[in-house]
Amino acid sequence: MVSGLRPPSEGSVLIDGARVKGPGTDRGTVFQDYSLFPWMTTFENVCFAIEHAKKTGERKDIEKTAQEFIELVGLGKFKNAYPGTLSGGMRQRASIARMFSMDPKVFLMDEPFGALDSLNRIYMQDLLLHLWSEGEQRKTVLFVTHDVDEALLLSDRVAIMTPSPGRIKEIIEVPFSRPRLRKDLSVDPNYLALKSHLLSVLYGEMVEEIEKQEKQLEVFA
Amino acid sequence: MTSENKFVSGTVTGRFSTISRNSLRAGIVFAILLATLVLAVAFPDSPEQAAKDNNVFVAVILLLMVIYWAKIYLNYEKIVTTTDIFLIISSGLFLWELLLGKFALLDSFIFPGPAKVFMVFQTDTERMVDGVISSLGILFAGYFLALALAIPIGLYAGWKKRLFDVAYPIAKTVSPIPATVYLPYSIVLLPTFRASSIFLIFIGAFWPILVGCVNGVFSADPRLINSARTLGLSDSQMIRKILLPAALPSIFSGAMIGLILSFITLTVAEMVAATSGLGWYIQYYHQFANYDKVIAGMILMILVVIGVMNIFDRIQKHFLRWHPVHGEGENSASSH
Repeated sequence: MVSGLRPPSEGSVLIDGARVKGPGTDRGTVFQDYSLFPWMTTFENVCFAIEHAKKTGERKDIEKTAQEFIELVGLGKFKNAYPGTLSGGMRQRASIARMFSMDPKVFLMDEPFGALDSLNRIYMQDLLLHLWSEGEQRKTVLFVTHDVDEALLLSDRVAIMTPSPGRIKEIIEVPFSRPRLRKDLSVDPNYLALKSHLLSVLYGEMVEEIEKQEKQLEVFA
Repeated sequence: MTSENKFVSGTVTGRFSTISRNSLRAGIVFAILLATLVLAVAFPDSPEQAAKDNNVFVAVILLLMVIYWAKIYLNYEKIVTTTDIFLIISSGLFLWELLLGKFALLDSFIFPGPAKVFMVFQTDTERMVDGVISSLGILFAGYFLALALAIPIGLYAGWKKRLFDVAYPIAKTVSPIPATVYLPYSIVLLPTFRASSIFLIFIGAFWPILVGCVNGVFSADPRLINSARTLGLSDSQMIRKILLPAALPSIFSGAMIGLILSFITLTVAEMVAATSGLGWYIQYYHQFANYDKVIAGMILMILVVIGVMNIFDRIQKHFLRWHPVHGEGENSASSH
């Protein structure tokens, strides 16, 4: 809905007071593993996105920006590689370069690191935080994840959603100051308390769901 | 490929024996070709066969040797496949020469030996070249017309649900009908044989390309299309920059079927109604019971098909270079 791919059934989505009517380049998107077009090289993918985000601009400037962001995520060597030849982590780095290079108002990230192994995931989280805090103004990031640690490490606010129907059950402020370090967080009692609270809300939801299903089964039996 | 890898990853002796096995097999290919050569030069087919009647056949054998050598020299990784193919070609040629050329096991009038057949390439060069030019001209005109119309229509039909629902069943129904059934009317309605052949090839190639294209768009990954939509593309940009490349693998498989059908259609049309071309060449000499030229015509057709398919493959490889399956296979940049 925020990306504008689907209209909301009621209410509306506002960005800086403007209503979202459809997909647009004021929101940059990173999906789980398919944001890049496989028939374009890393470089072409980033250029293509900038071209459509900026609408105007010299080809030279576009290419320069693309080059900068690709190097920023450490893919300088692979700028002419097709996504099919890159590893999952490299593909997500390219997606992130693409998103930042578009310079949107809001970043939408739909389980961007869900398909990565844990080491790569840690690396990507740090990269994201780094790029985000380096920006001139810190942009809003809407980040979907099923990883509680990831949510607490990255976010200022966590909105817990229920599974079907997807509603927001609870919104929790994350109080830790930035920059956050993993090793500090992992021993911080506040962090542990918040994490266990989050887990119990999520887990409670699941338990209820399972109990409900069991009841239904009993009715049938 | 797989058997090679198995050997290469083996022990040192394993690798060594692979090399000697490969050179042994290569030696067999050369030996067979050499034996064919000796057979051709040393023993005449019949008492009246002069030495110069063998010229073209000898040239063909030498050419095969050079091609084989060049192929394994330039592309050693593919030696197993290349050798297999050349083993088949050279043994076929050898058996042909031995059984039909020398021993004349079958009626040598209907089943001539290779020397007589290859001689046609020298004595009838002009007519053959004209035939190839005429056939290829018609083929490409009809085929490119089909590409030029089927791809845009297919892209649009795949994109617009309503058009798809109408176009797809029609395409599936009409595509199995051989284009040659339209021959009687196309000859009546169109001014020349050339025009009606082009039309037939167009019809024959159009449907498979259309079906491939519609399928390609329809089965394009919706997640990629969503990703494209977040960039706010216009309809025309969507079709050109996203749907076309996404559908390209499927378009190519449709285009391949279209090309094969074009060939069949062309040959049949030429055999029925033409005054030049490859199909006509075979049909014409068949009427005169000149089987040397009939078989030479078949070989010529095979050579043309090899050439055209080769070009097709190269084009496909270029356009699908990004594709993990169809691409060049130079996907070694993977993993960090």
